[in-house]
Amino acid sequence: MANCPVCQAPVDEAAAKAQTGMTPGGAKEVDPKMGTRQFHDGTWYYFDSLDCRNKFTRNPDSYLKK
Amino acid sequence: MDFGYTPQQEALRREVRQFIRDNMTPDLAEEMDVHANAERPRGTSPSAHEFYRKIYERGWLGITYPKAYGGQGGDRLTQYIVEEEFTRAGVNIALNGSGAPAIMAAGTEEQKQYYIPRLIKREISFCLGFTEPHAGADLANLKCSAVRDGDYYVINGQKMYTTAAHSATHIYLMARTDRSAPKHDGISIFLIPMDAPGITVRPLWTIQNNPTAPLPTTYGASRTNETFFDDVRVHKSCLLGEENKGWRVGSMGLNLDRVGASRYLISVRRDEDIVNFVKSTRFDGFEPGKDPAIRDKIAEMWIEAQVCRLMTMRSMSIVERGGKFTYEGSAEKVWAPEHGVRTTEAITQMLGPYGSLLRTSPHAIEDGVFAHNVMGSFQSGINHGSVQVMRDQVARRGLGMPSSRKSRKAEG
Ligand SMILES: Cc1cc2nc3c(=O)[nH]c(=O)nc-3n(C[C@H](O)[C@H](O)[C@H](O)COP(=O)(O)OP(=O)(O)OC[C@H]3O[C@@H](n4cnc5c(N)ncnc54)[C@H](O)[C@@H]3O)c2cc1C
Ligand SMILES: [Zn+2]
Repeated sequence: MANCPVCQAPVDEAAAKAQTGMTPGGAKEVDPKMGTRQFHDGTWYYFDSLDCRNKFTRNPDSYLKK
Repeated sequence: MDFGYTPQQEALRREVRQFIRDNMTPDLAEEMDVHANAERPRGTSPSAHEFYRKIYERGWLGITYPKAYGGQGGDRLTQYIVEEEFTRAGVNIALNGSGAPAIMAAGTEEQKQYYIPRLIKREISFCLGFTEPHAGADLANLKCSAVRDGDYYVINGQKMYTTAAHSATHIYLMARTDRSAPKHDGISIFLIPMDAPGITVRPLWTIQNNPTAPLPTTYGASRTNETFFDDVRVHKSCLLGEENKGWRVGSMGLNLDRVGASRYLISVRRDEDIVNFVKSTRFDGFEPGKDPAIRDKIAEMWIEAQVCRLMTMRSMSIVERGGKFTYEGSAEKVWAPEHGVRTTEAITQMLGPYGSLLRTSPHAIEDGVFAHNVMGSFQSGINHGSVQVMRDQVARRGLGMPSSRKSRKAEG
């Protein structure tokens, strides 16, 4: 389990990446309700929602120092 | 110069229209619709492939592409006429946005032989992987990295708004191959199959999906995607153009992609609908076509639509003559989407207060399609190069003005 760096909600990294379907082109599909992630300075950070990730994208340092 | 059609061209137009009438089933219409593709990836079913095969047999796919690559070696106006009719019917047969123009311009012989005929026949399709959370208008800020490992590249990163990633067979990816170079110089383009291990697609629902736009909505897409790359290994033959020269290839491709019927037609289709509606409708003895305010607005929108069409014609003529674009494609990409916003708004105004209700309201007119069009029309001002960025290009390339002051780092 990770915590959303913005709102601290728990995010299950494995569930966020778990395959829930496949596109006709053969790519893995995931369940968007399980959260999303962002690669920042060499690390993947996990978020419960896009809203939180957008906040993070705008100002990552303010969430990482805490 | 007269932009009217010759009798032969007019005959072709009618032939295409008849073909669509004869071959388009309601089920197919639903599958081809941009808004249906939220649940149903567009144009991927067996009946869709059969439909494309028939269009191909008529010689209507890839008209301007050389015969050696599965095209027809034809002219752009013919292509435009055919595209115009299919776009009116909601079917995209255009090759802009497909990656084909860039592959023709920058691809190796092998890449052209492989991709172009398959793109023309619609056996494969590309989604465009440019934008990232930190790289939108400021695209050169992109971080997705491709690291050379022998004959392979290993790709890691994420892409944002990869429209059609959930139906495409391939992705046209912009990634950083040299982290130490100035930001525009370390970028390369890759052509990658979507089934490469390590690619993940996550749906991203747009404003058009809540509530879901009804079927005949012309503007916007209900679904786009985020695409993740985790240690995706691709062979070096996937590189399009030279390593680290991807910025030029990518921006040239985007410019070529902006030329074509679809951009102008998505607005014109609505303009034609409202004219027909106004001419044929009566509410309680009121004839909207006789109302001076409505006539005035419709005439104004019609004039704007004709400007869109003329801009499209000019762009085609530039490409046909092998000329160079400076500001023309950008100007078109400002005018057509903004006309779309103005015309969809004008239409809801003409329809009165009920015209602004979305489909979830029991009082919505025609399932709320007009209101959904207003929302969707704003998307085309952002995707494929936002109108603000396009204006900047008109100022720089068209008017020779200096580059604008470096804006603060763009936010994703
Ligand atoms: C429906 C939809 C589909 C899309 N499909 C794709 C796709 O298939 N593939 C893909 O790669 N991308 C796609 N995009 C992404 C699109 O290209 C970007 O959204 C666009 O480039 C803007 O980037 P951004 O969203 O990060 O906004 P930002 O870059 O954060 O910009 C925000 C606003 O500020 C303005 N702005 C930014 N910088 C300047 C400046 N220097 N001067 C003036 N104004 C400025 C922008 O014009 C914009 O209005 C799609 C977007 C949408 C909405
Ligand atoms: Zn959060």
